[in-house]
Order: sequence, then C-alpha cells, then structure tokens
Amino acid sequence: MNRTLFALSAQAVVGRRRGVVLLLLPLALVGLAVVVRLLTSDAVGVEATVGLGYTLALPLVALLAATAVLGPEVDDGSIVYLLAKPVSRHTIARSKFAAAWLTTTALGALPLAVASLVLDSAHPGRALALGAAGVVAGTVYTALFLGLAALTRHAVVVGLLYTLFWEGVIGSVLSGVKWLSVGAWGREVGHAVDDLVDAGGTGLGYAVVAALVVSVGSVWFAGDRLRSFTLRGDE
Amino acid sequence: MSTLVLDQVSRWYGNVVAVNGISMSVGPGITGLLGPNGAGKTTLIALMSGFLAPSAGTVTLDGTPVWRTTDVYRHLGLVPEREVSFGYLTGRRFVLANAELHGLPDPGAATERALEVVDMVEPAARRIGTYSKGMRQRVKLASALVHDPSVLLLDEPFNGVDPRQRLHLMALLRRMGAEGRTVLFSSHILEEVEQVARQIEVVVSGRHAASGEFGEIRRLMTDRPVQYVVSADDDRRLAACLIAEPSVVAVALRPDGGVSVSVADFGAFALRLPAVTREQGLRLLELAPTDDSLESVFSYLVEG
Amino acid sequence: MAESTSPRGTDDAGRSVIHDLGYRPYTGPRLGSTAIARSLVLTGFRNAFGLGRSGRSKVLPFLLLGLNLLPALIVAGIMAFVGLDRLPIGYAQYASTTQVLLGVFVASQAPVLFSRDLRHGTIALYLARPLPSAAYAVARWLSLLLATLVFLVLPVVILYAAALLTELDVSDQTREAGVALGLAVLLALSLAGVGGIIASWSTRRGFAVVATIAFLVIANGVVTAVQGIADGEGSTRVAEVAGLFSPYSLYRGLMGAWTDADTLAPPTGAGMVAAYVVVLVGLSAACVGALVARYRREASA
Repeated sequence: MNRTLFALSAQAVVGRRRGVVLLLLPLALVGLAVVVRLLTSDAVGVEATVGLGYTLALPLVALLAATAVLGPEVDDGSIVYLLAKPVSRHTIARSKFAAAWLTTTALGALPLAVASLVLDSAHPGRALALGAAGVVAGTVYTALFLGLAALTRHAVVVGLLYTLFWEGVIGSVLSGVKWLSVGAWGREVGHAVDDLVDAGGTGLGYAVVAALVVSVGSVWFAGDRLRSFTLRGDE
Repeated sequence: MSTLVLDQVSRWYGNVVAVNGISMSVGPGITGLLGPNGAGKTTLIALMSGFLAPSAGTVTLDGTPVWRTTDVYRHLGLVPEREVSFGYLTGRRFVLANAELHGLPDPGAATERALEVVDMVEPAARRIGTYSKGMRQRVKLASALVHDPSVLLLDEPFNGVDPRQRLHLMALLRRMGAEGRTVLFSSHILEEVEQVARQIEVVVSGRHAASGEFGEIRRLMTDRPVQYVVSADDDRRLAACLIAEPSVVAVALRPDGGVSVSVADFGAFALRLPAVTREQGLRLLELAPTDDSLESVFSYLVEG
Repeated sequence: MAESTSPRGTDDAGRSVIHDLGYRPYTGPRLGSTAIARSLVLTGFRNAFGLGRSGRSKVLPFLLLGLNLLPALIVAGIMAFVGLDRLPIGYAQYASTTQVLLGVFVASQAPVLFSRDLRHGTIALYLARPLPSAAYAVARWLSLLLATLVFLVLPVVILYAAALLTELDVSDQTREAGVALGLAVLLALSLAGVGGIIASWSTRRGFAVVATIAFLVIANGVVTAVQGIADGEGSTRVAEVAGLFSPYSLYRGLMGAWTDADTLAPPTGAGMVAAYVVVLVGLSAACVGALVARYRREASA
C-alpha cells in the first residue's frame, strides 16, 4: 500500500460524474427501502429490495470503482507516470485495489445493511449478515474487475456480462453456476452470520476459500499485468 | 554519470519488425534520436525506459537490465509523448505525487525546485486540464525531473510547443546535458535536433541508420555515391553521355533495360541530366533511386 | 510548362506568381443534406456492429447478437424436431427475457456513435459541413435505433419462421408477431434515446456503459421490486403506476396488456395503457430533444 497512490486513485473514483453515479446507486437503494417501508406494514420487502441491491447495485458499484482506478489510465497510457517509479507494480495494484475496495464497501455493502435496517429494524442481525455478505462479495467483485481492467479495454462490458448474464440470467436457469458465482459465495457467508439470509448453496468452506483465492489471485494478476505494461505510441 | 546501453536489441510484433538489431550506447550529454514518423523512435524509447520487453538483445542502464526492474526509475526520468490525463489535479499536486512516489525525503521542496526549473511556479496552482500544450509539456518535464535523475528520456518533447517555449525547453535540455546528465530526446525534425544535440542517432524503419556527430554524418552521406536507374529510348547512347559527366563515377547497362548510374555529386547530376538528354535528343523514360533507404530519408530530413 | 515557371530566388514582389497547375474547385452537382444524413445514418448503423471498423470491434456486437439469437435458434430447433403446437416463448416475451443482452448491446455501442466524435473533437468536422447539428444528432440516434431494432427484430423473425415452418396457425402467429414488432419499435425508440443521451453526456466509454446499464437495469429492478411488493399488498394501482418509471417495465406492461403473456401488474384500462405508450414515446422524444440541444451547444461552442 502506498498513500500517494491510494489518494490519487480515490480522487479518480469520486471525481466528477463517476462520483455522482456512484452515489446515486446506494441512494436509490436506500430510497427504495424507505418508500417500501412507508408503503407496507411489516418486513415484506426485504428480500426484493435487498436482493436488488445485492445482485445489481453492489456489482455495479464495484465495477465502477474498480474500472475507475485503472481503466482510464491504462486506456490512454497515462499510467506510465505512476509506473515509472521505484515502486513495485504489485504495490500499485494493491493501492488501487484498496481505494476501489473502500468505495465498494462504503457505497455498495454498507447500504445493504442500512436498507435492511430500514425495512426490518427488528432483526439487526439480518442487517449485519447482509453487510457481511456485501463486504465479501464486494471484495471479490472489486478484485475481479480490477484484474479485468488490467487485462482488457472491454473490462466494463465483460464485467457486466459476468454479473448480469452469467450470474443473473444463466445463474437463474442453471443452479450449477453457484460454484462460479461471486454472489452465491457472499450469500453463503451472510447465511453463516444469520439464517435470515438465504444460503448460496456452496457450503461455507468452499465459499470462503473461493472468495479468498479469486480476490488474492485477481489483485496479484493485476499487479503482474502492470509489470508487463507496454508503452505504445499514439495511434 | 550514467550510460544506457542497447545491445543488439530487436522488437517485433508478429511479422512486423519495429526495431531491428540496434546497438547503441547513450552516455552523458545530449543525444538526439532522429528519424521520420513511424521509424520506431517511440518503440526505442519504450525499450530504453523499461516499458517494452526486447524480443531479442538487452537494454541496460549501468549494467542493470531496465525491463521489469523498477529500481532503475531512481536514476531515470521519462517524458512520454502521451498527455497527462490527470486533468483534475493541479500541476503542483501532480508533481508532488511524483515526488512522493519516488520516496524523496522532502517531496515538497523537490516539487518546488522542479517547478522552478521548468518555470511553472506561477501556474502550478491551476488544474492541469486548463493548461496549454506547452505548459503540459513542462509539467511532464517537471514530474520527470523531480527526483534529479541522471538519465532523462524525452519522446518528441517539442511537439506542439510554441517557438518561445521551444527555445526555453531547448536551453533547459542543453543545461542538463552540460551538468553531465544523460539526456536523450526524439524528434523527426532535423532542425530541432541540430540546435540542441551534437550527438545524433538516426533510425529509419526500425534500423540504426547512422550514429555520431551531425556534421560528420552529413559529410559521410554526401561523399557516398548514390545509385540511380535511368532509362531512355536509347540506353546505350545515354550511358555514353553520362559517363562523360564529372558527377558520375560509374555506369552500367542493366540486362533488363535501363542504366545503373553511381552519382558522387547529386546536385550537379540533377542539374546536368535534363540538359544532357535534351542536347542528345534523348527521351528520358525513368529516373529512380535504387538505394532509397538512408539517402532519401536523410535528404528528406535535411531538406524537409 | 517551362515558360510558366518563374526563375527561382526572385523576391521582387511584382514578379511573384501563383501558377495555375490545373487544380480547380469542384463545380459539379452536389448531393443535398438528405443524402449526407442518409449516408451518416447508414455508416453509423454499420459502425454499431463494428462493420467498417477494425476486426476487434466486431467481436463484441456480434457476440452479443449471437447470444441474443441463440435461444431463438434453440427454440426453432425444438420446434423442428419435437413439433410443439405453440411456441414455447412468446414473440414479445423474448426481448424481456434477453433484456440484459439488449441493454449491454445498446450501452456498449452507443458510445461508438456518440462519444468518440465528442471526445476526440472530430465533431467539428461534421458540424463544419452543410448538415445542421440537429440533423447530425438525429442521424446518430437513427443509427442506434436501427441497430437496436435489428437486435430486437431478428429473434422475432426466427421464431416466426419456425412457427410457420411447423405449420402453426398463420393468422394467429402473424398477429402476435406484429404486436411484438410494434412493441420492439417502442422499446428501441426509448433505448436508443437513453443510450445516446448518456453516451453524449459522458464521453468516457466504460463509464457511459455502466451508467446506461445502471439506469436501465436498476430502474427496472426498483420498479419490479415495488411492483412485486405493491402487488403482494393488493394495491395494483400503485404497481401499475410504478411500471411507468423504467423502459423495460413499460415494455413489460404493454406486453401484458396487448398479448396473453403473464406479467406482473400489467396496466388495466385504456387510460393506463395510453399512459404507458405516452411515457415510452415521450421519453424517446425527450432524449432526442436533449441530444439535439446537446449538439447545438457543441456547434455554437
């Protein structure tokens, strides 16, 4: 971790229009929770509301954050200014991950817990569990998308296809997708904290190990890609 | 005092060879890397700065390979052609970030020093997004200078910079060369190179075409006979006339038509050829250089 | 030519001359604005699928198109070999099922048409032509609209062909396919508008893609959640009104009203159905208006 890189990356995440959209996502979620709470009497809407936050808002926040810290700089080549320094490229990747991770946790995972509290204040354990699930899934998403951003210019589209198409559409048809679904791993952890959260169906051990392996592996991969970063002329 | 050494460096992308077996040694003082657009200058600078792996050969800075050695950046400063996209930072913040990333003991002081060197103290509080091209160039230079490197690589530093700032930038480079730093900059404009550097390296189509003192290279070029193919309606008679010209050193009839001519003094030859053919009532059908690589490029660089 | 060449080195002002080498401006007939706009629409349409661009930029649109058509082809195969007495998926329902792919397609290709010219400043080259900025904006939008329509209509065509080849009732199928086509046009109108306006607002490609998707998918998600809860609580009117707030839910609502597809809280009553249509068309019109304003500002800047 490098403080300067962290600060620069954080500035890239929250800077300008991206920051607006990043804020709108959790606001929409919590706003929805408040509206649902006002419309209904008991905790009916938790599943629908939080499910939306967990399967859509969280990965989108992670995608925006992870691609913000790496995408534009790699795209236009100006990352050379950061790379031409006596700093390990893995440190650079880790610092960028830290900035993106903090964003995902604050604007992706935390709102899940808040929405759950708004809708179902009787079960703070549920909010805690959802927060935990969000943190786990958010961590893996962020790392995964960071690795993607270091790999391809189309990281955003690939990331969207992964979350929306693979986890969303295919995952709802073929249950085997859960083994390769970040969302299922996070839910498994949430389930271990409180049974009100549905289990992902992979078993806690597998979920934790898979989440760890993918997170650590992706951040390492991003660093390794940066080690081979190639400067090109203007095309 | 540092020396950057390229030993038989090649770089290819699939079937395309971008840099072909280049060996050179860049020492203290200013070196100009000259070549037309697309000659491989940026590729070469990427190889020198550790942002491209050589396909063959080695690039070393004082004996250490630069590829994948992040420690070389302690002694190396790079000014890429690419624009700084950190438009949302102020110039000062950007240079300060560079100083901090170098782990300098007093990054604040180093930043002010670098900004002073490039004469950017006053606009440093503004965001980079508001800068003119010349100011961006100078901020880039400040960020590359902030750690006082012994080697400085600049890719097309004068591109898009207005004449007054260009003079300032040139004076700056000269001063750094005089301080004993190893400064290398690329350009496709000979006039620029000539004004700053005595030592030049010429690259053409990825090959190391010439190396040395500018005037000397120019002399070597003019002394070397240039090959042309000339064809007319009567090649044999044309050959006879041409050999009579003092500017021509050798003539040979080609089996498939045309005359190969070795020309020592191109200027005189160019003036005499139309005159001779008209005097003899010959119709000139074709005039083409056969050895077009270096001469044509160099004359393009010299005259263009 | 020899006599027209003046001797070199004469700096006497009176003897300076610009030689007429035979270059002259084009004085023949010129195509009008309509032709320019038409070719702009066509080029944009091709570019949306990566045609006329590098090989790598063809990968994504055709991958998405392929994924989008895959279920339709599978259905056609099942129809051929198993021979069902009705299509397993409705024409209009198809787009609702694959709406994620549709959204990603629009979101990822809109920047191709709207962001690049703005980001690289090449927009000035277009605006310097006789074509007014409003025509440029509408032409770009039309390109995206056509591309989106291809994406939406092809599966319907495949399903329709499969239905006819297995000798299902022609008039029934034609009517249903026709309704689906009408719905497809309504959806494409609004998606092209939304994608275009976001892509011209944020010229960072990756960001525009996520913002578009976030708008389409999150809005739809929120609406679906509200509809589900309201429907569960028995307040169908709330559920119907909620459906007005996202393109996908508008599409779904109209599909529920006009076809026999089973959807959550379709609009009931002519007034509500009309409101759905008005909002969907109004959204597209508003987006086109905003695009025109955006490019007019660009032209005057």
